[in-house]
Parts: sequence; structure tokens; C-alpha cells
Amino acid sequence: MVVNIQKLAYFLIGLFIVLIVYLFYLNLWQGPVLVNHPYNKRATVLEAKIQRGTIYDCHGIAIAKTVTQGGLKKRIYPQGEDFAPLIGFVSLRYGHTGLESVYNQELLGISKVSKLKNFINQLAQRPQLGNNLILTLDANLQHLARQLLNNRRGAIVALDPKTGAVLALASAPSYDPNTIDRLVDLGTGKKITEFELLKKDPAAPFLNRATQGAYPPGSAFKIITLAGALTYIPEVTQETYNCTGSLIIDGFRLTDHAVHGEVYFQRALAVSCNTYFARLGLALGQDKFYQNALSFGFNQNLGDEDKLWQEIYLPGKIPFPDQISKPELASSAIGQGQITVSPLQMALVAAGIANAGVIMKPYLLQEVQSLNGKSLEKNVPKKWKTAVTPIVARLVNESMQAVIECGTGRAAAIPGFKVAGKTGSAQNPQGKTHAWFVGFAPAESPRVVVAVVVEQKGAGGIIAAPIARELLRAALTNR
Amino acid sequence: MLVTARFKERTLLLIASIYFLTGMGTIYLVRPVDNKGLFLTGVVVLVFAFFALSYLWQRLDFSGNQYLLPLVAIFSYTGLIFLYRLNQVYALRQFIWLLASLAIVAVITCFLRNYNFLADYKYIYAVLGIIGLVLPIFWGIEQGGAKSWLNLGLFQIQTSEFVKILLVLFLASFLAENRLILTKGTRNFYGFTLPGPQEWGPLVGMWAISLLLLIFQKDLGGALIYFSTFLAMVYVATARIIYTISGASLFLIGTALCYHYFEHIRWRIEVWLNPWPYADTVGYQVLQSLFAISAGGFTGTGLGNGYPNFIPAVHTDFIFAAITEEMGLLGGTGIIILYLLFFYCGFQLAVKAKDEFAALLASGLTALIGLQTFIIIAGVTKLLPLTGITLPFISYGGSSLLANFFILGLLLVVSQENSDRHRGY
Repeated sequence: MVVNIQKLAYFLIGLFIVLIVYLFYLNLWQGPVLVNHPYNKRATVLEAKIQRGTIYDCHGIAIAKTVTQGGLKKRIYPQGEDFAPLIGFVSLRYGHTGLESVYNQELLGISKVSKLKNFINQLAQRPQLGNNLILTLDANLQHLARQLLNNRRGAIVALDPKTGAVLALASAPSYDPNTIDRLVDLGTGKKITEFELLKKDPAAPFLNRATQGAYPPGSAFKIITLAGALTYIPEVTQETYNCTGSLIIDGFRLTDHAVHGEVYFQRALAVSCNTYFARLGLALGQDKFYQNALSFGFNQNLGDEDKLWQEIYLPGKIPFPDQISKPELASSAIGQGQITVSPLQMALVAAGIANAGVIMKPYLLQEVQSLNGKSLEKNVPKKWKTAVTPIVARLVNESMQAVIECGTGRAAAIPGFKVAGKTGSAQNPQGKTHAWFVGFAPAESPRVVVAVVVEQKGAGGIIAAPIARELLRAALTNR
Repeated sequence: MLVTARFKERTLLLIASIYFLTGMGTIYLVRPVDNKGLFLTGVVVLVFAFFALSYLWQRLDFSGNQYLLPLVAIFSYTGLIFLYRLNQVYALRQFIWLLASLAIVAVITCFLRNYNFLADYKYIYAVLGIIGLVLPIFWGIEQGGAKSWLNLGLFQIQTSEFVKILLVLFLASFLAENRLILTKGTRNFYGFTLPGPQEWGPLVGMWAISLLLLIFQKDLGGALIYFSTFLAMVYVATARIIYTISGASLFLIGTALCYHYFEHIRWRIEVWLNPWPYADTVGYQVLQSLFAISAGGFTGTGLGNGYPNFIPAVHTDFIFAAITEEMGLLGGTGIIILYLLFFYCGFQLAVKAKDEFAALLASGLTALIGLQTFIIIAGVTKLLPLTGITLPFISYGGSSLLANFFILGLLLVVSQENSDRHRGY
């Protein structure tokens, strides 16, 4: 019986060794996942103890700040609906979204930079303080952008092509982040929160259309096609083409919106001649066409190390070269077919042209500051990629100036400035065309790039170009 | 010789007392108490009570194992520190239960030193045990999903905690008597030697009783402890692994049937397999426990700095999660190692026991505590399905504490017989 008892003892010891090993596995292996799990209330409680930092625009105007009301901390958004789809909100019930979520650690001061500082504060029983964020965004420009959209579905991006600093990033419709937790009566006596109501809204107010919208680019894409042709087939600058109003490719008939007659490349862009650019696309061929789009950043995220863009940016999408037929290639060359873009993607394309072929990496976070104003982290402008050579960029730039001077984009002209741009009226299955405008000013030394899209409101030259004009004017005179 | 007779015990008790005072002092600093006098009196009285027991044994020339009491003191102190940190009301009640439990140990070690007569009442244990199990089914009240409490007016008792001891007593006496027959068998059945029905009958009865417990009291943990202790003791007595395997299979079949027919069993299994879909309902508790355990990291958040109160019932079944959150992996593992030391002592005195009844009693009681500890820690860490049972000596609960100290008392008298024999008495 002694042996039996020993065996039982070994068995029991074995059980406990398994338990200890499992405990280590649970704690060290699964621990990090469990600690950050949204169901884990510890993070929320920890956050409640910390004074969350303020988010400022580039002029020091508060976009989001934490105030104490009746002993309770409350996150308020003084700019109301202007920034909501981008900045997001903080809610005890629904957690955080948008930049509030992306930069949560910075705002709470629990990133590496200030961990020690907070530990000392904790020991001294002082309140723990988060950090302030200073963004590149301009609250006035952002407000203007939203006014110009005037509750139509759409988005506006404005950025500085020389640095990549994003000046405005508006999306409509928006919502009021201040009242996300408020209960609304549906009239039936049943009460739900505004968040739940907005979630069901078919207009998708939570969607940040500026960075995550997937639109057909329409004729605005012709900038890219032209840049590709100038890169790979430089002799196109010498050729003219007679537009007869339609083109037949493998039995597929591509119709133009007018008979443009004799056109050369600059004129073709100015009048947005479909047959000319369809032919350019065919001349490039699937591979070069695809390669050219990649050099403008299609199908690529904005750097793997950047958590911001990983969370909120949807790059332009272009099908692989072996997946498109010739008629599809011709449609793609004029921005129809399977290509989709976000307004930010189109702004980056224009920024590449404006900045002599070099696309700077876009950024929103200018600086992280401690509450007493000490700089903890500062953004340094970085080159993202080279889209085209300076010569090609100059040729495309000149063609885009022609669009404004004597083409479809005349409504974007600003007296006293040379503006370059391209309109687009993207056909889509839902109804009227999406109105596009991408451009920059001043053309000879660009300071501001804009991309505008208004959903299903008609022609880009009529709807989007005036919006771009007002935005460019404001940005140029105020900066 | 007599002066230093229990020197080891008192040295260890002194270390345990320092541990206790440090813990209580820390909590006192983190969250001060309302009633300082009561707090201080409680701490001093308890430390004194443990030492008093040791001195009482010395006076009475009691020569039982010197490691068991200090180990149990550490467990009790840990429990009290955490109860005090979680909810001061529970700590106060636990303190009173602890004093009562120590009194019971004193009574057993003084008046029950010759425990051999216990072997003669096996059918009385069986009858008492069955009464203890059946009463709550009809007159019991439900707490924490299990219907195993009897309301005695002043307080409630969980009869199944005491039936555990009756079970071990019954099995020890029954198996000591029938061990040889069960091992060899009396009849030949297709080449297998099997014992007759009068020998295995009571064993199958056990299976039925534990299933009964499972179904009517909704006490999965209780059933699991009963049955695994039963298998462990049958194995110790007979060394026939076939009994253990067929017993375990029977239990699994029973559980599988219950899974199909009883919702509360089904939920436990579903939540164990994947708690996330039930994060707001039935899976809430175990997920909160996992969050707590993982929040601790290697060294823990520090006493009083965690959020173990997010776990419902943290003071009873989930106290281990609270310990791991605040004392970390090191603290949790430390507690497990202390339990292992306790079981080592228990099995060692079973090995040295003078007769089969004593050996079976000691190994049965040790296995009982060991399995219970394993089942609840595995439950709160989601290694096994969660079952509502207490962590011996640490969790809050009067019945559980009294029963476990009763077991401590029995182990001590068995160890005393051993050492008497070794000393040549």
C-alpha cells in the first residue's frame, strides 16, 4: 500500500506542476492580450484616474479636451461635428474611436516617454497627467471644408505637398461627438443611445470618407495615366490625336462626352478627352499601367510602422495586370472600371506632381507635449516615395494649369494665383456621377493641395471645382 | 527534550506571523480601517491563538507533525489578508470562524488521540452522509447556483463540506476491511477476477450518490471532489488501475448524460470551451478571473493595488485570482508550492501509518484537500470547467473552514500515533 500512496502522491504533484506551467503560460503568454482586451474594465478604471491630454489644431485651438464638471471628468469637443469622423470620441460605454483611440497611449501619458514621470506622480499621490497632442490640422480650414460640403455626402482633404502636413480632413455627414452617450426617445417609448442610432444611419456618419472612402476616381485619374505615358512613352508629347467621339476596343465601344477633334496631351487633359486617355492606357499596356499606379502609392499602406495610417487609411486599389482585359484597361485609364481611391490617395497623387515628383509622407501629429508644454515627440517630414521624375511632374503640372485656364476646371480659378487641377465626374452604379476635383496652388510653387469629392451630385467642374477654389483661397491667404 | 519539543513548529509559526503582520500592515496603509481597536485585537488574538495551540500540545506532550499547523497558518493568514482587503465584513466573520476552527483542532488533538475506534462505525458514516446530502435537496437554499446550504437560523451550513469527511472515514474503514477481497476478487469472470456484489455494491452506490449531488444540488465541484477522492482511495487500497479507469469512465459518462439533460452543466462546459460569446452573461465570471490573473504579471500589482473586486464571488471560489492579481505569478506559484508541501506531509504520514485504516484515512484526507485545491485553481484559470468550490483554508466560508480544520485535526492525530510508534512507545 506504501507504493500505491507514493504513486498517488506523484500523480497529485504532477497535476500541480501542470497547473504551475499553465499559470505561467496564462500570465506571460496570454497576459498581454487579456490586459488590452476591450472587456477588461481595468484599462477604463486606469484611464479614469488620468487627466487625458488636449488635442489642439496647428494654431492652438482645442479640438478635444477633458473638463471636470461636478467632480466628474468629461471629454468635450468644442468644434462639434467638424472633426468627428477623424478624431472620434471617448465614451465610457463605447470605448474610444478615431484619433482618440490611435493616440490613446500618448493622450494618457502611458507610452514609454512618460511612464517614469507618471510613476513618480503616483508615488507622490499627485494626479496622473496625460500629454497634449498638437495636430497639423487647421480648425478654420476644417470648418470651412465642412461648410462647403454643406451636409452633402463627401470629403475634402487639404495638405502641404512640401512636408506632407495634413491641413484639413473633412468628411460628411458627421455627428456630434459630445452627445454620443445621450439617450434618444424613438417615439415608441423605447430609448436608445445616439451611438446606436448613428450606427444604423445608412449615410454612415462614423465612416471617415476622406481616408477610408472607396470611390471610382473618374477623370481625375487621368493625371496618373498622363504621368505614366510621359514616363514610359516620352514621345507622346510630339503626337496629336483626332478624337472622333468614340473608340472601339475588341468590340467594346468607349464613348466620349464630346468630339474633341485634334488634341495633343495638354489639350486632352484640359478638355478631359476620354478616347485620348483610353488610347494612352492601351499604349502603356497592363504592366506599365499597373507599375505607374504603384509608384503613386496604390495598393500600399503608408508605412507599416505608422499606427495612425494603419488604422485609418485605405490606399487606392488597382487590379493586378493579369486580371484586366483590354477594354477594362481602356476604362481604367480614364478612372472607371475596378479602380477605387480614397480622397487622401488622390491628394497624395496631386502632392507628388506638385512637389516635383516626390510624395512626402502625410502626417497629422505635429508634436506631443507634456501638460506644461515640454516637447516630448516631434514629427520630422519624411519622403514617402518618388512618383515621377521632375520633368514629368512639370509637364503634368503645366497640363493641369491648362485645365483651370481653358478646360473643365475653370470654376477653380483664383484671381492672383495660378491654380493647377483636374476635375472628375465618376460614374457609379448608384445614380448621378460623383463630383471630383484634385489640384494645388500656386502652380509654380505649390503650398496647398486639395482633393474634393461630393457623392452623386454631378460634374466635377461644376460641383467640386468651386469648393476647391474657396478652400485653396482660404488656405493661401491665411497661411 | 520537552522544552524544545515543538521548537520547529513555533519557529515556523513565528515566520508565518511576520508574514501576516506585514500583509495586514500593508493593507492598513493602503486602505485604513474604521475600527482600529477591533482590527488590532483581531490580529493579535489570532496570532496568539496559533501559538497557544502549539504550547497546549507541548504541555500535553502531543507529538504530532510540526509542519502542518504552520502551513495551515500561512493559508489562513493569506485568506484573512485578502478577505480584509476585499471586504472587511467577510474578514471579521472569517476571523471568528478561524478561532472556532482552531478550537475544534484543539478538541480533536486532546480527546481523540486514540482514533482507532473510528474504524468501527462505517455504516453510521454512510447513513449520516446520505442524510447530509439529501437534506439540502429538500430543505436547502440556493447560493451561487448550488443548492447545498441548510439554514440554521443564526448561520447557514453547507452540509456537503462535512459529508466529505464522512466519505473519507467511511471509505477508509470499508476499504481497510475489504481491501484484500477487492484486490484479489472472489470469483472468476471470463478470466477476470472480480469481487462479489457485497464488496463492490457500496462503491457503485458512491457513484450514484455523487451523480445525485451533481444533478439535484447542481454542485459539479462537489461531485467531482467526491468521486475523484473515492477513486484515489480505491486505488490506494487495491492498486488496481482498472477500478480507477472504469470509475473515471463511469463519471465521464454520467457527466456526458448530464450535459445533454441539464442546462446548468451544459453552460459550464460551453463557457469552459469558449467563454467569449458569453462574456456578458455566464462567461463573465471566469473571464474577469482571467483578466485579474493576467493583470498581475510576474510580481503582481501589489497588495491593495489591483481590481479583484471586478470578479463576482472573489472572496470564496475566486480568491486565488485575487492573490495572483496582487501578488503576481510569484505569489500564486508560492501558494501552490505551499499546498504541495502540505500534501507532502500528508502523504508522508500516510506512508508511515501504523495500520491500514490510518494509512487510508491520511491519504484519503490529503487527496481530498489536494484534489479540491487543484479543481478550484484549475477552474478559476480555465484549465478545467469552473466548479463552485472553495480553496481550502484560504477561501471565505465557515463550513469549509471548520471541515478543513477538522481534517487537519485528524491528520495530526494520525501523525502523532506514528511518532509515538517511532519513539518506541
